[in-house]
Amino acid sequence: MLRKDSEVVVRTEHLTKRFGNLVAVEDLNLEIHQGEVFGFLGPNGAGKSTTIGMMLGLIEPTAGQVEVFGLDVRNNLASILPRVGVLMENPGFYPYLSGWDNLHLFAQVTGGVADHRIEQLLELVELSSRTKDKFKTYSQGMKQRLAIACALLRDPEFIILDEPTSGLDPAGMKEIRDLIIRLGQEGKTVFLSSHRLHEVEQVCGQVAIIKQGRMIAQGMMKDLLKRGEMLQLRVTEPDRAMAVLREQSWISSLAREDDLLLLGVSAERATEVSALLAKNGIFVSEMKTREDTLESFFLEVTEEG
Amino acid sequence: MARLIRVELFKLRKRMMTWILLAVLVAFFCMIFLGMYAAAGSAPHDMPGEGLEALKALLQFPDAFNTIFSTAQSIGGILLIILAASAVGSEYGWGTVRQMLSRRGIRSHYLGAKIVSFIIIALIGIVISLIVGVALASFTTIQLAGSINWDFMSASYVGELFKMFGWTAFALLVYILLAVLFAVVGRSALVGIAGGLGYYFVEQIAIAIFNGAGGWLAEIPNYLIGHNINALMATNQPYGPFMTTGTLPSLLHASVTLTIYCLVFLALSLYLFQKRDITA
Repeated sequence: MLRKDSEVVVRTEHLTKRFGNLVAVEDLNLEIHQGEVFGFLGPNGAGKSTTIGMMLGLIEPTAGQVEVFGLDVRNNLASILPRVGVLMENPGFYPYLSGWDNLHLFAQVTGGVADHRIEQLLELVELSSRTKDKFKTYSQGMKQRLAIACALLRDPEFIILDEPTSGLDPAGMKEIRDLIIRLGQEGKTVFLSSHRLHEVEQVCGQVAIIKQGRMIAQGMMKDLLKRGEMLQLRVTEPDRAMAVLREQSWISSLAREDDLLLLGVSAERATEVSALLAKNGIFVSEMKTREDTLESFFLEVTEEG
Repeated sequence: MARLIRVELFKLRKRMMTWILLAVLVAFFCMIFLGMYAAAGSAPHDMPGEGLEALKALLQFPDAFNTIFSTAQSIGGILLIILAASAVGSEYGWGTVRQMLSRRGIRSHYLGAKIVSFIIIALIGIVISLIVGVALASFTTIQLAGSINWDFMSASYVGELFKMFGWTAFALLVYILLAVLFAVVGRSALVGIAGGLGYYFVEQIAIAIFNGAGGWLAEIPNYLIGHNINALMATNQPYGPFMTTGTLPSLLHASVTLTIYCLVFLALSLYLFQKRDITA
């Protein structure tokens, strides 16, 4: 319900980017609504960072367009960017400046950030004790945490996170996942580009998967996972049951794992399956649905074709 | 824009390289003044009197001001090429250019603020050169003449000093913009420094070769940066600028030529910076 009624924060239409002969992004159509935590998945080199670059006006699209907050990125960056917080993959900071100075500097660039806010964020990312140390002395995890603080400086409405948990230990990863969930609950729109599929699965409501620059799947997480939904049956006569079920056109796939039958059919048709088998004198001793994980779904769609 | 200029100045102020280059500038001033003073003191007896007098004059007021501005322009130019190219190019290496532009997207403001901050640093550099140079020249004047006679310091001479200050700053601006262009083209500090310094030194050699060749080749230096900068700096120098060969173009020619160079360097830098994608 929220999706249809809420404001569109990002819309890409036929977005395409070519670097010479290399097609980085092709005909990408995305729509991200206010308050969504949107997962953006794809193998390495799929075009995720290029898409983010085009959203931020860092990369000029070859064709198509990107709108953020209903404004064309090409001509409205000055209005758009102060409302956006960004954590880039391999975030850039000045190595000779302290953590505090780096945040203070980026706060100055956009303006409107009080020192108190910087202190608050450094506390949030647990860097309060190292604020005066130079950035070049930070560990990978500390650099990543500083980048998260930097992304949140202006309390942005739309937050782009490109591999936010890279370099963090398991506890740090969980903190960031919790933070993303909290941001979503606060009504922020989050665009999460990540290779960590379980991370996306845990925090995102909407997901898009791209491969070689093309969108190959997009939708609500639960719907995408449902696409891979299967009915798992244990029956009295598996061989005969297979023969009966194979004749039904509404069953998309049929497989056998030892004495278990796996049917490509939604859970709503479970009664129909049971009745059909009973009519043929085959009885079901066990029946349950089995959902794909995002990982298996991702591997399935990215390895196709 | 004012906020961005403050940010750029903050970055330069906090960077060790700025202070090291300033120390190098001061060291060069000491070396030049004290070296020339030592040379004047230990000049061979058979050295022509005119040459020795010219050398001594460059160490004493008022001609010492010419030495100060010439040194500020020549050494300052080299140091500013290093500073500007490094400040622009390093941002690519550190990934901070992406970070900055993803917060404030107007690229011309970003590059413009950088150039303005370099100009401010150049002006501060000239003022520091003046302070250090006046201190050193006071020492050499007292040593050579016994005391300093400030009678030359009339209102019109102060006006001349401001003019010399302006020409020096203008000459430095050309090198700043040259370094920025190389750094933007190469998207690296190394390319910026190598390109800027390479041009600076190769041009000096080329000017000498063209002048030596004579004929129409001797006209080419009139359209090169170094020769026109020498023309600017020569306006108040009775003994001519350092390391100059051939006839210098007029002040008007030099100003117009250098203005065209500045505009071309600026336009190319802005165009490339605006047009290119900022990737990883």
